[in-house]
Amino acid sequence: MVTRRKSRALVWVVVAAVVSLMVVTVGSGGAGASYKAKQYPRAATLITSGTQWGNIAGMNPFTHNWAPGMVGLVNETLLRYDPLKGTYIPWLAKSAKWTGAKQYTVLIRPNVFWSDGKLFKGGDVAFNVNLQRFSTGQWNNLWQNIQQPIVVKGNGLIIFNFKTTPNYVQWRNMIWNMPMISPVQGKSITTAQQLTTYNPHIPIGTGPYKLDVHGFDVTTRVVWQKRAHWWAADQGVAPSPAPQYIIDLVNTSNTNSLSAVLAGVEDLNNNYLPGVNKLVDAKKVHTYFDKAPYMLSANTAWLEPNTTRVPLNDPVFRKALAMSINLDKIVRDDYQNLVLKANSTGLLPSWNGYVSKAAVKQFGFTYNPAAAKALLLKNGYKLDSSGMIANKDGSKIDLDISVPQGWSDWEAARDMIVASAKDAGIRMHAQVKDFNTWLADIQTGKYDTVIHNPYQIADDPWTYWNGIFHLPVITTGTGQTFANYERYTNQTAWNLTQKLDKTPPSNTKAIKALNVQLQTILMKDLPLIPLWYNGIWAQMTSKYWTNWPSSSGLQTIPCMWGGYLQMTGIDTITHVKSTRAATSAK
Amino acid sequence: MRRYLLRKLGIYALTFVAAVTIDWMIPHLMPGNPVRALMARIQIQDPQVAQHVYANYMRSFNLDLPLWKQYLYFWASLLHGDLGTSIMQFPSPVSSIILHALPYTLGLLVPAILLSWYVGNKLGAMAARRKVLDNTLLPIGYVMTATPYMWFAIVLVYVFAVTLSWAPVGLAYSPTAVRGFDTTFIGDVAHHWVLPFLSLFLVSCGGWAIGMRNLIIYELESDYAHYLEALGAPQRLVRKYAFRNAMLPQVTGLALAIGAIIAGALVTEIVFSYPGLGYQIYRAITNEDYFVIQGIFLFIIVGVLLANFVVDIVYVVVDPRTRIGMEGGGQA
Repeated sequence: MVTRRKSRALVWVVVAAVVSLMVVTVGSGGAGASYKAKQYPRAATLITSGTQWGNIAGMNPFTHNWAPGMVGLVNETLLRYDPLKGTYIPWLAKSAKWTGAKQYTVLIRPNVFWSDGKLFKGGDVAFNVNLQRFSTGQWNNLWQNIQQPIVVKGNGLIIFNFKTTPNYVQWRNMIWNMPMISPVQGKSITTAQQLTTYNPHIPIGTGPYKLDVHGFDVTTRVVWQKRAHWWAADQGVAPSPAPQYIIDLVNTSNTNSLSAVLAGVEDLNNNYLPGVNKLVDAKKVHTYFDKAPYMLSANTAWLEPNTTRVPLNDPVFRKALAMSINLDKIVRDDYQNLVLKANSTGLLPSWNGYVSKAAVKQFGFTYNPAAAKALLLKNGYKLDSSGMIANKDGSKIDLDISVPQGWSDWEAARDMIVASAKDAGIRMHAQVKDFNTWLADIQTGKYDTVIHNPYQIADDPWTYWNGIFHLPVITTGTGQTFANYERYTNQTAWNLTQKLDKTPPSNTKAIKALNVQLQTILMKDLPLIPLWYNGIWAQMTSKYWTNWPSSSGLQTIPCMWGGYLQMTGIDTITHVKSTRAATSAK
Repeated sequence: MRRYLLRKLGIYALTFVAAVTIDWMIPHLMPGNPVRALMARIQIQDPQVAQHVYANYMRSFNLDLPLWKQYLYFWASLLHGDLGTSIMQFPSPVSSIILHALPYTLGLLVPAILLSWYVGNKLGAMAARRKVLDNTLLPIGYVMTATPYMWFAIVLVYVFAVTLSWAPVGLAYSPTAVRGFDTTFIGDVAHHWVLPFLSLFLVSCGGWAIGMRNLIIYELESDYAHYLEALGAPQRLVRKYAFRNAMLPQVTGLALAIGAIIAGALVTEIVFSYPGLGYQIYRAITNEDYFVIQGIFLFIIVGVLLANFVVDIVYVVVDPRTRIGMEGGGQA
């Protein structure tokens, strides 16, 4: 029998539960929204995750903080780049090329319309490039070299004339990375500060999707809704994407991502999921390759020595350190073959065409701890009383190595490096640092060695060389925030890097020669020790969508990360097929 | 009563100033520079442009000023209700980040704390006088309390979400849910709410039950209880007084639990991908987002102080000793 007091308590329990649910419902945006449908149709909705950590900051394409998918799905670029084929894909531009030593000409496609119905014109391109006049513009240094006014002829021809020899590589990189924003919205940007705070409520773009503003929840997801018309589909340039909606979910942890993939919640996940190879082998998920290395390569992880510290300022010591690292073991035991071992140049597989096999054979390093120890002893290093390598003056060597705390794959690799270095007589010890401390120490040079992977795949190895050889080393203000964290000073290498940037793309012979020179310097001096290629982590499930990219099928990049949709990520979106459509077709 | 309240308010005001000062100070003492971290993410290739962008961000956040000026600006902004702008979620205002996340945390934590407190105390009180309960429920309570919460929550997700598919693996609502104030969406929210709620409820309930059980036994063994028994008071009356006295520390515990709501939310929200304040503070700390850290901790400070103030008032009502002491009756 239920007593009065007990039933009163029960009422309170029910009331508390209902109130809580109402609080959550209202808080999640439920109140005020009115819809006919109760669910986005799952069979027509592509669910992705693995890009956004923490709240979605908004729709600013200039701060690298935009809602996942915005650049590519809404705001498109003039060109795209296919790193698997090494080719540029004409996109909003029908053609974009150098028409003189100091002239670049863009011809945009006709009949491309912004989502507000206005025609996309040549003047819009000039407007977007001129936004870089602000000192906070990412490509401001390139804008400064453009003669004003930018020549616009008719509705579609834009001619850029340069004051001095252009930075060919950087310019081309900008052309396929700069998103076109609508001048209707962009005209509100009138100061350098406003370029960083620009945040349209609903971005106007030329792409195949638009923001579904009612579905957008900064804490949880962004919802993109397919537009009725998209120029690329209308003009037969690309298939019309099958997903009516794309929902990108905010990440909380890799463990949660794994659960979501296993439960079929997500169709495409771009997180690193340790041991995902077992799920691939069990046919539960797809990856680009169905066996090792499973993933395409995104960036090079390297051991970054602080070249201003003894004995890491000695190329011989760095070479011995490189020879002491058992990369095969790291790839096999730590990554379970989810990554590829880097070659001695560290150049990504998509840049294989630039690798000189002869130079690698002559200057590359291989794992051989005994030879590493012998090399050090031959070059004046001594043995201390415990049989470990000491400095030439007999002082003790004990190098620290750090990775961000909690990055378990890197922590395991760190421990393996420490263990294998010991075999070569090199004493190292792990230093535990949280991410911020780790990064701050790299930027300010307070470290011996770190594992680091700052540069993503790009259209040209120049970004890689610039990252290694950039001078001068900045010791105040920003510190080293984008390049040469190892503080390596080699004026010749830096001159060659600058020369590469200023070499016309048509001069392929010179470009090849410069790349060989730069990789030779890298392998001889080893300011960085290439370790492995981190993957473009991508796990795909076939419950709702098929025709995913694979090495034997559609060769595009299955990735929503910033910068990847304007490679061939958008082709992945336009080629996936609904399983429901496939079933009904049968 | 008025004097008592004024004195308490004065103490709380001083505590607020000190706590807010520490709240401002701690993020600034953390190693690293959040704007540099932001710059590393933006990866500008030209050093001059990088310097401009860096200077712009430093100026935007007042981080180019001496610390004492930053402190004064902080108070000035705070008094105008401005909690600043997030660094990592630039240009989102901190107040908007908190407002977006707050309902999730309140909706999950408040009922979990209140209900576990109520049910736990009831169970503990019953266990103190019934051997069967003492030998069955209490050991379960001990196990629940001793279980590492993170592990327990992950096991719940694995069993009920991944293996049995009875509950969703995470989030506050289905990824494909269309939000609306209707039964479908409320049902969807409830479906996602149950598992994280249960995880918190079960673990907290055990703790409260153990505490109450021990307190009741202590009270029943105290002199006044024996005296009452010797006078021939019925067992029920003795237990009633014992329960009332045992409730006092539990009320204090409840106030602290409500005040520290964010800390309780952190692990739950991470495991269940629940987008509340706990997850926000975790992200803010790992990214050194000064202003979000300050904003959320300010919320915690206000919460703790308010909860304690309420408890001070409640004590006056429920504890005659406090009431008498306040009226001067306790003075020799």
